[in-house]
Amino acid sequence: MSKTFRLTLAIAIVIAMLIPACGSKTTSSESSGMQGTLTISGAFALYPMMTRWAEEYQRVYPDVQFDISAGGAGKGMADALSGAVDIGMVSRDVTAEEEAQGAYWVAVTKDAVFPVVNAQNPVLADLMKSGLSQEVFEGIFIAGEIKTWGQAIGRPEITDEIHVYTRSDACGAAETWAKYLGGKQENLLGIGVFGDPGLLDAVIKDPLGIGYNNLNYAYDMTNGTAVAGAAILPIDVNGNAQIDSDEVLTTKDEAVKAVANGKYPSPPARVENLVTKGKPEGLAQAFIQWILTDGQQYLEEAGYIPLPPDQMDASLQKVQ
Amino acid sequence: MGAKVYLSPLPARRDQDRSASRTLFLLTLLPPALVLVILIALAARAWPILGEHTLWELLAGTVWKPLQGLFGFWPFIAGTVWVTVAAVALAVPPCLLTAIYLSEYARQSIRAIMKPLLDLLAAIPSVVYGVWGMVAIVPWVEHSLVPFFRRWLGFLPFFVSANPTGFSVLAGGIVLAVMIAPFIIAVTYEVMATVPEGLRQASLALGATRWQTVKSAVLPQTLPGILAGIVLGSSRALGETMAVLMVVGNVAQVPGSVFDAAYPLPALIANNYGEMMSIPMYDAALMGAALILLAIVLVFNVASTLVLRRIMGRVRRAW
Repeated sequence: MSKTFRLTLAIAIVIAMLIPACGSKTTSSESSGMQGTLTISGAFALYPMMTRWAEEYQRVYPDVQFDISAGGAGKGMADALSGAVDIGMVSRDVTAEEEAQGAYWVAVTKDAVFPVVNAQNPVLADLMKSGLSQEVFEGIFIAGEIKTWGQAIGRPEITDEIHVYTRSDACGAAETWAKYLGGKQENLLGIGVFGDPGLLDAVIKDPLGIGYNNLNYAYDMTNGTAVAGAAILPIDVNGNAQIDSDEVLTTKDEAVKAVANGKYPSPPARVENLVTKGKPEGLAQAFIQWILTDGQQYLEEAGYIPLPPDQMDASLQKVQ
Repeated sequence: MGAKVYLSPLPARRDQDRSASRTLFLLTLLPPALVLVILIALAARAWPILGEHTLWELLAGTVWKPLQGLFGFWPFIAGTVWVTVAAVALAVPPCLLTAIYLSEYARQSIRAIMKPLLDLLAAIPSVVYGVWGMVAIVPWVEHSLVPFFRRWLGFLPFFVSANPTGFSVLAGGIVLAVMIAPFIIAVTYEVMATVPEGLRQASLALGATRWQTVKSAVLPQTLPGILAGIVLGSSRALGETMAVLMVVGNVAQVPGSVFDAAYPLPALIANNYGEMMSIPMYDAALMGAALILLAIVLVFNVASTLVLRRIMGRVRRAW
């Protein structure tokens, strides 16, 4: 008997371990008191800022716990809609389908995607002087009819091929860059590389490469210029075939300024959204509201760009 | 009283065996049942897409534009096959020779050092292999292999590509080959170790060299085991995700050369998993991709088991 019992017990334990705990998720939205847990997931682009906000918020309200993970804008959206998290970070526009499923979004900060080339690019001087226009970018990334750097800058004698890189993972940066060029991520040509750092790395390794990166990856945090080995390719916004003083993107400060004052086109500049399923309530609402008010002071030191006043008003209205 | 009775009465002993047999049987059923459950769950979630497209359209379609409602899986199926075949072709010859060396030639001391070292390869996380592939293999393919093959084997379309980078089928194959090597070596070595020592001694006593002994005494005996090792390695290669995804280029096209970029099924799922909730049909399409991958692995395993049985029968008869 005892052996049978032990065997059964052992089996019962094994089975018990095989069955995952299916306890329901504890929801955080305590009615009004500032306590509970907020779960957040989503865009890599917003993740560093979110951890900072959580830190500061906890300093004010020590009873609030945070559980933050990065997994891409799509994951943030999916998690928020399925109820797996309280707040999803989504670094692209919210689609009509997502809205139909109950996605409610509030813009909290601005950010931008910048075209990046290798610092040893054979025509770097030309690129820095005259930039590339939207049509040329489209020819490189979407139509694929511009195949050499010579074609790109209008000097056909240069026959160095353009090596196009894009993101392989579904992400806000690619979606935003594609939107600027009139397409979707699936329309972007090029070798697919995983993640923001991966894409930057591929371009840094390839003198003929071109890619695109989020602000905080394209610029070196420590000295405010492009990451070593890479160069930020300025966009010829007004189409006069030269880069004017307000189109220069050499340093991070210039880039931030251009995005903030709207000289840098949008897209590829974009707003970063926080998404909840339905209008946020309780703790989630309080936290988002805090982000839009007190939380804004931490934006610039973390390398993000404040919303223009009209957008800020709209956001505040949406969360109230 | 005399000796203490340790044995329980007969009916109780029979019951014990019977209950043990039943519970163990049920537990053994669990894994296959789980596969079945996964299959059913995937099929159920993939079902909506079959309502809009025929199976043939999905499997043979070559255009992948989910937002335009185009879900052609053929580039991904072809990519999976290309990368796996490249990996196995690269891995098998050196792995076989390594196993032969370890089992037939190596001194005990060398074997004692080399075996754990080879096993260690299996313990390295795949993302580490991926990083190594991006840093070392991709540039090597681009700057050394591509020019070399273009120069000497450029007349074969197999080795020519318009892909200007090293992110390619071959880069994925090389990384995968290193990843599956420890499995193939371990299985092959273990199988060779089961060959009775007497057989080798008899062969050597007849004046055969070691190499002749391997060729005519050891290898024929172990062929099924070696094939099993290769099957194990291939199955792993079919499903490997992270390391391959990082070096293979992820372009949804049907590769025509080992230097073309490819996009295997596991990479498709991993890259887009996050988006699937938010775009209609995408969810079903990705579940379909998982289903296809599972079906490929299952069919491959069943087929190779059947082949193995045949060969095993032939080997037994020959002996």
